[in-house]
Amino acid sequence: MSTESWIDAVSAARRALPIPARNLRDEAAEGGCGVIGLAASVPVDGKHLLRSLTQMRNRGNGKGGGIAAVGLDAAWLGVDPALLESHVLLAVAYLDADARAEVERDHVHADYDVAHLHEVATLPDYTAIEGLEVRPPDVVLYLVRPKADRLVDFASGFAAPHGASPSAREIEDEYVFQSTFRLNVEHYAGERGNRAFVLSHGRNLLVLKMVGYADDVIRWYRLEELGAHVWIGHHRYPTKGRVWHPGGAHPFIGVNEALVHNGDFANYAAVCDYLAQRGLRPLFQTDTEVSAQVFDLHLRLYGYPLEYVIESLAPTTERDFTMLPEHKQRLYEALQATHIHGSPDGPWFFIIAQSLNEAWRLIGITDTSMLRPQVFALQEGEAQIAFAASEKQVIDACLESLSAEDPRFWPRADRYWNARGGSHTDGGAFAFSVEPDATSPSGRRLVCADKFGNPVTLPADMPAALAQGAGGGMGNGAANGAGEGSGSLVAGGGGSVAHAASNGNGNGTGSAPAYANGSTAPNERTIAGLPAASYSALQTALDGLVADAASGRPDARSAAILAISRVINGSHTTGALRRSSVRTMADEALAAVFDATRTAPCDAYRGFNKADLAPNGVPESGQVPAPTDEAQTAVVDARDFDVEGDVSLARAVVWLHRAGWRRLLLHSCRGHRFIGSGLGSETTDLHIDVYGSSGDYLGSGIDGAVIVVHGSAQDQLAQIQKRGELVVHGDVGQAFLYGAKGGRAYVLGNAAGRPLINAVGRPRVVINGTALDYLAESFMAGDPLRDGGFVVLNGMRWDETAGWLSLDTPYPGGNLFSLASGGAIYVRDPHHRLGEDQLNGGDFARLTDADWAVVEPLLQENERHFGLTLARLLTVDGQARRPADVYRKIQPAKNKALQAEEAWVASAEVEPEGV
Amino acid sequence: MASATEIKAASPTLVAKVTHYLHDGYRDRSAGVIEEPPALGDARWTDQLILSGWYMAEHGHSPEFREHRTGASGGGFDRLRFKFERDALFAADAAGAEAESARAAVDMSLVLNRRDTARKLTIKVPWYGGGMSFGSVSENVMVSRARAAKAWGTLTCTGEGGYPAGLNPYADHVITQVATGLFGVREETIQAAPIVEFKYAQGAKPGLGGHLLGDKSTTSVAQIRESVPWVSLFSPFPFHSVYSVEDHKKHIDWARTINPDALISVKVSTPTDVDMVAVGSYYAGAHIIHLDGSYGGTGAAPEIAKKNIAMPIEYAIPRVHKHLEKEGIRDQVTLIASGGIRTAFDVAKSIALGADGCVLGTSELVAMGCTRCSNCERGRGCPFGLTTTDPELQEWVQPDWGAMRLGNMYAAFDRQLREICRRCDLPSIAALRGRTDLLRFVAEGE
Repeated sequence: MSTESWIDAVSAARRALPIPARNLRDEAAEGGCGVIGLAASVPVDGKHLLRSLTQMRNRGNGKGGGIAAVGLDAAWLGVDPALLESHVLLAVAYLDADARAEVERDHVHADYDVAHLHEVATLPDYTAIEGLEVRPPDVVLYLVRPKADRLVDFASGFAAPHGASPSAREIEDEYVFQSTFRLNVEHYAGERGNRAFVLSHGRNLLVLKMVGYADDVIRWYRLEELGAHVWIGHHRYPTKGRVWHPGGAHPFIGVNEALVHNGDFANYAAVCDYLAQRGLRPLFQTDTEVSAQVFDLHLRLYGYPLEYVIESLAPTTERDFTMLPEHKQRLYEALQATHIHGSPDGPWFFIIAQSLNEAWRLIGITDTSMLRPQVFALQEGEAQIAFAASEKQVIDACLESLSAEDPRFWPRADRYWNARGGSHTDGGAFAFSVEPDATSPSGRRLVCADKFGNPVTLPADMPAALAQGAGGGMGNGAANGAGEGSGSLVAGGGGSVAHAASNGNGNGTGSAPAYANGSTAPNERTIAGLPAASYSALQTALDGLVADAASGRPDARSAAILAISRVINGSHTTGALRRSSVRTMADEALAAVFDATRTAPCDAYRGFNKADLAPNGVPESGQVPAPTDEAQTAVVDARDFDVEGDVSLARAVVWLHRAGWRRLLLHSCRGHRFIGSGLGSETTDLHIDVYGSSGDYLGSGIDGAVIVVHGSAQDQLAQIQKRGELVVHGDVGQAFLYGAKGGRAYVLGNAAGRPLINAVGRPRVVINGTALDYLAESFMAGDPLRDGGFVVLNGMRWDETAGWLSLDTPYPGGNLFSLASGGAIYVRDPHHRLGEDQLNGGDFARLTDADWAVVEPLLQENERHFGLTLARLLTVDGQARRPADVYRKIQPAKNKALQAEEAWVASAEVEPEGV
Repeated sequence: MASATEIKAASPTLVAKVTHYLHDGYRDRSAGVIEEPPALGDARWTDQLILSGWYMAEHGHSPEFREHRTGASGGGFDRLRFKFERDALFAADAAGAEAESARAAVDMSLVLNRRDTARKLTIKVPWYGGGMSFGSVSENVMVSRARAAKAWGTLTCTGEGGYPAGLNPYADHVITQVATGLFGVREETIQAAPIVEFKYAQGAKPGLGGHLLGDKSTTSVAQIRESVPWVSLFSPFPFHSVYSVEDHKKHIDWARTINPDALISVKVSTPTDVDMVAVGSYYAGAHIIHLDGSYGGTGAAPEIAKKNIAMPIEYAIPRVHKHLEKEGIRDQVTLIASGGIRTAFDVAKSIALGADGCVLGTSELVAMGCTRCSNCERGRGCPFGLTTTDPELQEWVQPDWGAMRLGNMYAAFDRQLREICRRCDLPSIAALRGRTDLLRFVAEGE
């Protein structure tokens, strides 16, 4: 039979399924969420998600948590791997223990042959988990195959007189789908209330969820030791209903996939209607469920390739659409015309775990407005692992946990990136497939591809990573030999350190470590001045710095911090060593230096942790010690501080500032938010260095302070920044400098969506990479030539082998400087890649000497921070150029000045009194 | 362009002449001494209500000879009455020493913080002033409102346009609004505020941000907002940092990091899922849920938006009130209603429907002479010197006079609310909350 008739027949069969007794659409609810997903070539134990999910609790409210796992360890179930592969893993949640006998009799044993039954073990007492208000369901797993006779009956319903029949797998999947639907209608959405429901019914795919946090799911069901190749964890933040049902928690299922999402839709009702026309009904009162249904409908029933499914969920629009090849435009137009009503409208970020014959897969899809935070990451060594998550810090937390146990991983990923939803280049969607691979030690490999199927890979010639096995693995192994003979490597990075800035140390240029002084032969490998011929050489150097610092001599401490910070910050080649491994080593060395400042404080550095500063909650005034010297630096271990609230790291910064500290160094941050907020006005003499994974809103509201972030930063940085300076040695997230009034900001890498939106006054900003879109929308920052604000967009990226390179385009989006009335963007665009179609309210103008006079000092400062030289910026295709030939100015299009009023006020200003 | 301080004030002679005639007009027309203006008001704000407002602002009590309780819109609060209002003896019974002492005994205070975070804050009357920005109104109007708020132990709000220096002496009575454009929002204005109000939406134009058209964005307005003069200012919708409820919580946490002592108010319009929004805001840490209905807003809101979007406030209040009760959190959160609260009776009806108190906006402008002519969006559109920062027109309203007018209106409201409580045999205005049994629906033609 033709494909159409199979689809029609299935749709008709679905319409004939029982109807839920209650009208669940009216009860639909959704809120925000926090998500993490990973895929790895080797099994990863559930416990490694624990810290990530615990650190991300502030993105949920404990009213819904869930996990999905694909590519499970068969031993956990007590079965043979072949059985796990060949059978459907039916997971049933029993909210009412009395329902089990009936469910098993009428559904499980009626529809299936059960090869194995496994009751998921739990902790003895749910009240032992703090905050759990509702007893999580009992879960029973059944490894099943459809009963042969029932399946034949079922398939005969689809028999067609001619054409190709659906595959056995297609029929079986639909059988399972409909069986589950009947079970859920009867026992979850029925008149008898919520008694039982199917958590998942794919092959080698398990979903568990409950009313609680996702980490509680791992604890309660004792998944710490469960190995799986693909994991998703999801905290939900629902806003409706005092009683939240576990059925409302994420993930939601199709047949072969589990889907979670962060965000919500404006068109839930429309999507429901779209699905109803295709015989599908939601049962679980949340918009996420319908997106899982749409995904399953398109992929499994319509048989669309993944690219089409992504397009129908996240339609390509605006300029990106016009940039697609014509045949793609025609195809996408057809998809959009057919399925736009099934496309979730609103901010969302989907993470999907999928179990297919050919691969176990993690998919991350960004919405085309890029309104939800999302970070992807990739690490490739002997084993490979990829992530998609709400925040970078939770990826690092997982890697740290994993690397502490498994020498095949290390704490930093090789690449982190934000996706541009609906992009014509990569679609803003990525699939990470764990595929069988006989050549790999684990028998599997991880393959990454974007929406269009283009591979996403790390550079082929990346140096080997440092093995992290017992004893550190220093000085031997593959790493040392890698990259031999690749020539001389130069430390190019500047790398500013805030707390040392006004010590006369000149932002990392002074007080150079002994290792950088003179002894380095021109051809000897170094990283920011430290020997780097091998991991062991670097480690020896780092150990030396740590040992020197441990002596407690202030200058040795300062030198060690500066030297190691430059390794972390700089845009320098790491040569024969893997950057992420170097970063890991530097982080560990710094941690040792920082920890010693607490156990052995000195005149220059004094370490604190939460117990020191806030043993009993918020300290009384006078309880926080004052510095012994104006230049003494408070080194604060962030770990035990709350991420937000009264006893947060951000408040500790305020307490210390009030106690007289003017130099702060915050380390081991794990998503700590609002750093630099609450200081009030006039904080010009305050310097803050931030190490670790800092959180959202960093630097928001600063009025004079200098904050240096040693690494990438999160979302909403420097909101309403007034004065001061923010330096980020990495990328920044969404809505950077929203509503800013002034100050300086320097970003080594990219800004995500909506940087500088609604900024006014005089902010001056250098972004050395690019921005996803909506840069400087509604910018109102006066005239840059008269003390107003502007953005310099360099459109460059650091390449490990080639150094600084120009991006293909300095700005990929279709909305640049939209609706701006003031300020300017100076964009490095020597080849005029940007076009008028990207502007909406701005005009291109030629760079004048007056423009360059304001831009040049900022770029000189930028050079000092990041080592990207003015000379390099002005070099195009190997030729030195004049600034006006490299940079273009984008300025507001002429405003329609309201002449009458302006003229009247002007006359009022000069008229004599007493008319 | 010269800064605002250098602009010469309007001629004192002219100011004296104009204000004299304006003040006389407000007084004499409202008292019936000279004829009522033709074509004054509209169905919601009838000529009688406007003139009553002027009368109260002049005399400190309500005029018994005019309709001062309801308008003629045929809907909303105009179709609700207290049951006792059928009582023919209403006016006569209100006099006398016994009634006077009963009124005096009524507790009018409104507890704003019902949680165990941030400062304790109780205001003396069950209303406070709504956000009207510098730019939408003049600094003189803002200072008038702040003075009245201080005198009456209540609050007023900056709106989204910065914090003019004239407000500094009244800082304990000034709410700092944080709205989507973040205009004029600075750490010190958040730290100075007893309440930080996040304006997510405005009932007059849900789904739209703020609008300040170019000819109101004068040099002084642009200076405080740090924008370019004479350019229309559009606040975005929504907050670019808030696209879901966990962002909302983060947003609130941010303000609480800057000022842990401040109460957090979340101002939202009334979409169909307003009850969910309220619950989500509570869990995000808000102390006050402020529902802004669609009858409010100035003439500057686009016509297509006004009254055409979202749920009527008299429907939203009980819905949210009941939902918060169902959730078991009603007594941890203060529910405030605004958007077309014109009279003391509107305040009382809102409370009887389930609100704890109200926010006033337009009625305060009426007290200072507004005729609802709807020219608010033009730079020199307001003939009464209210919704303008024009160097000349803004002089028509001086803080001494404005605060006096508002104080008188507050006194009249206070007396009416006390009388309503007395009639209903309630010891406090708080006891009126949720007493829908005291209301009745007025059928059409009744």
